[in-house]
Parts: sequence; structure tokens; C-alpha cells
Amino acid sequence: MKAWQWSLRTIAIGGCIAALAGCGEEGVLGTTVVLRVGNWGGAGDDNEFDRTLASIYRQFERENPGVKIMIEGVPDSQDYVRKTLLAYVANAEPDVIAIDASSSAIFIDNHIVRDLMPFVEADPDFNLSDYYPNVVDITRRGEAIHAIPMDFTPMVLYYNKAVFDKMQVPYPNWNWTRADFVETAKKLTKGEQFGFQFDSWMPGWIVWLWNGGGDVLSPDGKKAAGFLDSPDNISSVNFLRDLIVEAKVAPNLSQVAASGVNYFENNLTAMQISGHWSMVTLKAAKAIDLSKIDIAPIPNDQGDPKTVMYEMGYGIGKHAQHPDLAWKFIKYMTSYRVQSRYHTTGIAISARRDVSREKATTEIEKKFLKIIPTARGPWGSKVESYDIVEQLGQKMMDGVLKNGEDPASSLKSAAHEIDREFSKL
Amino acid sequence: MKRQRTAWLFVAPATLHLLVFALIPIFASLYLSFFKWHILKPARPFVGIHNYSSTLVEPKFWNAMWNSTRYAIVSVPLGIIVALLVAVLVNQKLKGITVFRTIFYTPSITSGVATAMLWIYIYLPEHGLINSMLSALGKNNKTDFLNDPAWAMWALVFMSVWTGLGPRMVLFLAGIVGIPQTLYEAAELDGASMLRQFWSVTLPMLAPTTLFVLLTSTISAFQVFTPVYMMTKGGPLDTTDVIGYHIYWEAWSKFNVGMASAQTFLLLIVIAAIAAFQYRIMKNQLEGYSVA
Amino acid sequence: MKILKGVISWFLLLLLGAFLIAPFAWMVFVSLHESKSAIPVMSKLVPEKAHWENYWTVLTMPNIPVARFFLNSILVSVIAVMGQLLISSLAAYAFARIPFRGSNFLFSLFLLSMMFAGVVTQIPVYLMMRSVGWLDTYLALIVPILSNSFSVFLLRQFFLQIPMELDEAARMDGATEWTVYWRVILPLSKAALATAAAFGFFGIWTDFFWPLIATNSMQMRTLEVGLSVFKNSYGGTNWPLQMTAAVIVLLPMLIVFLFAQRFFIKGVVVGSIK
Repeated sequence: MKAWQWSLRTIAIGGCIAALAGCGEEGVLGTTVVLRVGNWGGAGDDNEFDRTLASIYRQFERENPGVKIMIEGVPDSQDYVRKTLLAYVANAEPDVIAIDASSSAIFIDNHIVRDLMPFVEADPDFNLSDYYPNVVDITRRGEAIHAIPMDFTPMVLYYNKAVFDKMQVPYPNWNWTRADFVETAKKLTKGEQFGFQFDSWMPGWIVWLWNGGGDVLSPDGKKAAGFLDSPDNISSVNFLRDLIVEAKVAPNLSQVAASGVNYFENNLTAMQISGHWSMVTLKAAKAIDLSKIDIAPIPNDQGDPKTVMYEMGYGIGKHAQHPDLAWKFIKYMTSYRVQSRYHTTGIAISARRDVSREKATTEIEKKFLKIIPTARGPWGSKVESYDIVEQLGQKMMDGVLKNGEDPASSLKSAAHEIDREFSKL
Repeated sequence: MKRQRTAWLFVAPATLHLLVFALIPIFASLYLSFFKWHILKPARPFVGIHNYSSTLVEPKFWNAMWNSTRYAIVSVPLGIIVALLVAVLVNQKLKGITVFRTIFYTPSITSGVATAMLWIYIYLPEHGLINSMLSALGKNNKTDFLNDPAWAMWALVFMSVWTGLGPRMVLFLAGIVGIPQTLYEAAELDGASMLRQFWSVTLPMLAPTTLFVLLTSTISAFQVFTPVYMMTKGGPLDTTDVIGYHIYWEAWSKFNVGMASAQTFLLLIVIAAIAAFQYRIMKNQLEGYSVA
Repeated sequence: MKILKGVISWFLLLLLGAFLIAPFAWMVFVSLHESKSAIPVMSKLVPEKAHWENYWTVLTMPNIPVARFFLNSILVSVIAVMGQLLISSLAAYAFARIPFRGSNFLFSLFLLSMMFAGVVTQIPVYLMMRSVGWLDTYLALIVPILSNSFSVFLLRQFFLQIPMELDEAARMDGATEWTVYWRVILPLSKAALATAAAFGFFGIWTDFFWPLIATNSMQMRTLEVGLSVFKNSYGGTNWPLQMTAAVIVLLPMLIVFLFAQRFFIKGVVVGSIK
């Protein structure tokens, strides 16, 4: 047979394969049911958390023969939201959708995830009162709840006692001010080593604005002008910029990028701001002695430290192919036996009262619990289009830190642009 | 008469495809551009030309258009000149020339994602390939190319010359091979130098190829997306927010489908105008070239 | 004189070749450094110990079905290229060899449509795929690219160069239009078909934008989109694994290309677009 004829003939064969594959997974994999679980996260790291999670999934598969769990991870949390929304538009969102408080409003208010109350009420084994009510309420709208919470964490200031000891600097005071913080950071900066690592990531740095007395939106969440560009925020952004540019107690962003490694995990910085999840990578970091890691509140000049609380839970997609199985999975993931195992990894604080109480044995865990009352929910749990604020807010910060833009005018134009985008909706 | 019918049968599948996936979408874009439609919301009110009027007064839109223009204005001529010179170079009958042709084509078959990862690395401030080379030459340079507003766009342009070389080179090579040898012989008899021959024989004879390369390169330069998405996300300070990325953002991140359609349509008008302009300019040199 | 010219040419060829190849070499070297290690300085580019296990790590990532991405990319590009060849060559044949009413007008529509690709048609095509329920299936990845105006153009140019007498002779013998196309023209156009196929294949394999928006589930991602996950996962803190992923995306293309290149570049040169 001649080559071109052969090739054209393969079209016919190819067409058949495509048709087969088009029939969906069941057609190919026989009786296997694939349960799609959307979550942020990407390529694994082969740390304890990844391994534990994988074995938790495998156990669910063993307990439910014929079920295969397909984790669909998107690395960046904002990308995750956008991709899941786009999948919803395509009627192809995952069965189970991980929802973070930082972007829960857009999922709930557009009915992308279902009301779980019918599942809760129909299930005698499930007890909503096992979970902290204020955490459950994050996804509540009236009687309806839209996700069962897994865990939560406030953003805190991590510090590495090993570096403090080496430089003979006293540990952070629980009521410290920005001046104390700068003073401490200066003492910790020497040569290649910096006092503080600033991550230019808005869900993290927003706490600086809050502790400086400012906020990004009006209380009703509808307006940025007059809020994002307030004098308080201008001085907070100036303060952050000065950490890098003037005091030089934090590496500049391109230095961090150029090194290709995480500074804090390599004892190159003494302090960073992050959530509980950093415990996972700190545990895995070879250079870190975990017993030397501690936390403190974000510096605040009024003696009234504030922070933001992120929370993660599982919901069920509106077009879920296997809603009952999805519920079974959620129930499994939020059960006592799984949570008590899952939270050995250090990812966050369990939303189950029983598990979180059990785990609060170490000093650092007790400190986390102490910080929680000062934390409030993120804007994204109330304002549907908060994504716009984060995009433009981040751009503002990048402009200031990477390109030397003026904080006051950058904040002003960001506020203006946010309001402009809001008006399009 | 029967042949007419057969001809139409032959072109039918391609025409149908063209209709459904190119022509109808153009009109659908136009139609959608008159509505305000956030794709997660059921409401889809008719807003007349509002999407156009508000796009046209939006500084970010003009910024994106300007970015695409400067990307195209530099990357297209640069890419064409480099490709033409390389084509002349590899047209020689040297031993192992096919090896070089292959090497020169390789960057073009490289996936955009892999290329982007690679070039991010090349452009890194401290130990990136470029800065490492410079410091090896004794010049200590720490430019963070992709985060420096003065450099980011040119970094993308430079990369596009590398990635776009292959197809352009091959098209020019094809053009050069097609030039009748007698023309060169005649020129040689007149005592024309190599340079002179290139100038008065090769270049004019390549006009059709050049037009083709120019048009396709310009059009794709105006639609560039992957490198921006992977490498700069439109930053720093919106200096690489090209129109293809800007529209992607409007449509698939903010979900303003009506607004994005209006921007799409404006882009189409710009592309068509540029293509028509280029065609006009080159038309005189196209004698003997059968477009249709 | 001639020797001088040869030397200069060689020098330029080698220089350019080095410039084009260096980044690839670099990529491979970095991919062999230990996972999570810092960016190597120039003098330590060649790792003391090659960490080949990086390749294994990437290929067996638990949440990233690289094998499935490969399968998807192969399936989509093979079927779409075959479709393009058939559909485009039929049209090109009619445009080149049968004078028919509307031929010029229709052909110029094809030429014009080369402008409309990608960015301009994305939204309507996406909505169309959604309304027929094809999003996140192979159909959405394949059907919109089953025909290709560039291939029509390329093949027509080639078909125009084949002497008309061949068709006429065949027709005298009672051959139908289909027979002429299938038995006379196509066998003579292998180089052009290979060229069109190669261009099509490269374009589809490296397409990022359409698979990014048309597919959602991990199972449906193509290699290009699937492995972009690696870039975003490490946020600049694990260059060795990122480069490993990049090599993995690149390698199959490189192999296909090395096998096809002689045929391919020759095909373009012989079937030159005049």
C-alpha cells in the first residue's frame, strides 16, 4: 500500500478512536467511576504532606471499589478560581470543588456549588455541629451552606529562632510595633542574610495594610477609591518599600527570583509572613530545625494586631456527574479519622473541634489558636469580584517594589482602575 | 457543467469548515459585541455601541494596542531580515548544510511552554545565561530583563526572532531556489558583484515570498499570546500587555464576553487595515505573481 | 576568494548554530542538577553527578498524568493532520486544476481567513463548542482545526506546477476527477503533502491557547498545557525539575523532526511557493 493511501486510511481508524474516547471515561475504563476533585496545587513535592494526602485518597479508593479519584490541581490560587469558573461555563467543572474563603463568594453567589443542606439532612452519620460554627458560616447564605470546611489558618509572622540566636537578637514581642520590627530586622541583616523576606503576594501582604489602619474597599465592598488610596495605606506601602529599598532588611524581589531558592527555608531570612501551610515545607526543608520555628502577630502600632483568616472546604459542583459519591468523599475527607491523620502534616488547623483540640499540644499550635480571635475573613468571601482587586492590587505592589513607582500615585490609579472594572459588572 | 459540480464537491468540506470556524465567528463576534454579557450571569442586555465607546476611551486598551504595534514593528522586520540572511547562508552548496538547516529550524518546533521556561531562565538577573555570559566577558550586569519596563518587551522580541527563524528561513530558501539560474548568469556577465546580484536579482525576485512572510508574520505578531502569558503576564507596569493577552484577560479572566468581542473586532479591523496597507505597498513588485 | 567565502560561511554557520543550540544544551544541563538546588553558576553548569531521576520524578508525578497528556497530544495531532491533508488537498485540487465559477472569490476568502485565526475567533468558537456540548472532549480539540487555509494555499501552489497534460491524458482514458486527484496528483505531491503535514503537526502540537480554554479536566489536557503546570508549580524555586519538564515536552517533537526534516525542508524547497 502506498504511503499516502495508508495515511488517509488511518483517518478512518483515527475517527473511530476519537468517537470511542468521546464517549467518556466509562467507555474506556469499563466500570470505573472517576471522581474529579478540583484543588489548587500542582506538581508534587514529594514531601510528607503529598504522601499523606495520596495515601488518604488511595484509602478512599480501596474502601469504594471501582472508584478512581482524579485530582485536578491548578498551581496558582487565582488561576485555580478562573479555570474552575471556566470549567463551570463549559458544564465541566469537577465533581468536588475545593473552595477557599479568599474566593468563595464568586462560587456561592453564582450557584456554581450546590447547597449541601439536603445532603447533610439526609445523612444520619454526618454531624454539622462537629465543626466550628463560625467556620461553617463562611459559606452560609441563609439556610444554605455550600462547603464543608476542612481547615483554616490565620496569616502570621514566622521567625526562625536559630537565626535570632546566632545574631543574639531578642525574639519578637507579642505587642511589637513597626519600629520594633524594623529594629529587629536590621539587627538580623548581615551579608547574605536578611531580617525579613517580603513575598509579593496580595493575600499575604494585605495584613500590612490592615495593621496600618487601612483597608482596600469600602465597608460594603463596592468602592476602592478613598479606601485603597487612603493615607494609612500610602504609609503602609511606603513602609514596605522602605524595608527593601531604604533599610534593605529584606532582599529585593529580583534577588529572590535570581537565587532560585526559598530564602526562609534556607536560613537566609529570619522572618516571613505566611499561613499554617508553611509548616509543611518547613518540615521538609533540610536546612531548618523545626523546633526553632516560632510565630508572632503582625506588628501593629496601636497594640491591636489584626490578621486575615483563610479557610478551605469542599463543595459539590452544580454539574457534578456523581454528586452522591462526591458527598461521600467530602464526608470522608472531613471525618475524624481522616482529619486526625491529615493534620499531622501541618497544613492548617482542623475545622473539626475534636481534631483541632487534640492537635493543640505544642507551643506553636497554642500560639496559632491565640492569634485566631484577631483574624477576620478575607474580602473574597463577601465580594464576588474581589479577584479584580487582587489583580490590580498586586500590579500596584509590583510597580512599587520592582519598578520604583510612587506608592501614593500607584495606589490612587489602582483604586481608580478597580472602580472602573467594578462599574463594568 | 459536471466538472463545475465536482469542483464544488471538492471544495465543499473545506468551505464548510471555513464558514463555520472562521466566517461565521467573525459575524458572531460582531453580534456579541453589542451586548453586555458577563458569562457567569444569565442577563445579557443589548447595549448598542457601548462596548466600543468604552473600549475606545480606555487607556489600557490603547496601551495594549501600542504594545502590540511596537512588538510587531520591531520583531517582524528584524525576524525577516535575519531569516533572509540565514536563508542566503544556507543556500550554499556546502557539505553538511542540511545539518545546519535542521539546527536553524529546531527552535521553531520547540513548544511555546518549554521555550518560555527556557527563556525565563536565560533572562534571569543573576545567573541567567545572558548575564552569566556578560560577566564571563568581564561586564558585571544584573539586569532583570523580564521585570524591567525598559527591557521586557525587547526581551520578548529578541526571543521571537529565535523562535520564528525556522519557517521564515525555509520559505525564503524555497523562494531563492525558485529563482532561475539564468538571471544570475546574466548578472555575472554584466560583471555584477555578489552583493549587487543579491540586491538586484535575489531581492526583487523574492518579493512575493517577502510579502507572504510579511503578512503572516505581522498577523501572528498581533496575536502573540503564549510567551506573554507564560513569561510576563503583561507586566512590568503593563509594558508587555499586548492586545492578544489583553483580550484573553477580558474574556477568560474577567469573563466580560461582550466587551472582549468588541475588542476582538477592533483588532480585526486593525489587522485587516495593516494587511491591506502592506499589500498595496508591495503590489508594484508583484508582477508575474499569481495570487489567484 | 572562493576559499575565503567558504571559511566565512562556515564561521557564520557555526556561530549561528551555537547561538541557536546553546539554550537547549543549557536546558539539558540544568535538568540534571539536583531537584530544588539553586541556579548553577556558569562554571558549575555541568553537574558533578547527573540526576537522571528528575526525569522519572516528572514522568511519575502522582497528580499529573504525563502519559495521558502524551496520548492526547498524539491523538489530536495525528487525526487533525490527517483531516487537514484530506480536506485541504481536495480543495487545493479544485482550485488548481478545475476552472469553476466563484473559484477566485472563494480562494481569496481562504487567503483572508488566515488573518482570522486564534485570538479573533476564540469567543464565538468557544461558545459554539459549548452549545453542542463538545467542550472538554476530543471533538473540541480536533474539529475546529480539521481544515487549514495555509495548507490549502500551500498545496494549491504545488498542484499548479504539475503539467495539465497529465490530467487530460488520464481523463482521455476515462478517469473521473476523483481518480485524477487520487491516482495522479496525490502520488506526485508527496513532498508537498509531507510539508503541509509537518507544518500542521508543529502548529497543533505546540498550540497552547485553544487547548487551554477548550479543555478543563486533567484527563483532556494536551502535553503543552499539561506541562505548563510545572512552570507555575515551583514559582521559580525548582529550576532543575522545570527544565526536566521542558525537555520532556520538547523531546518527542525533536525526534519527529529529525526523522522528517530531510523530507520536510526539501519538500518546501521543491514545492516552493513561487
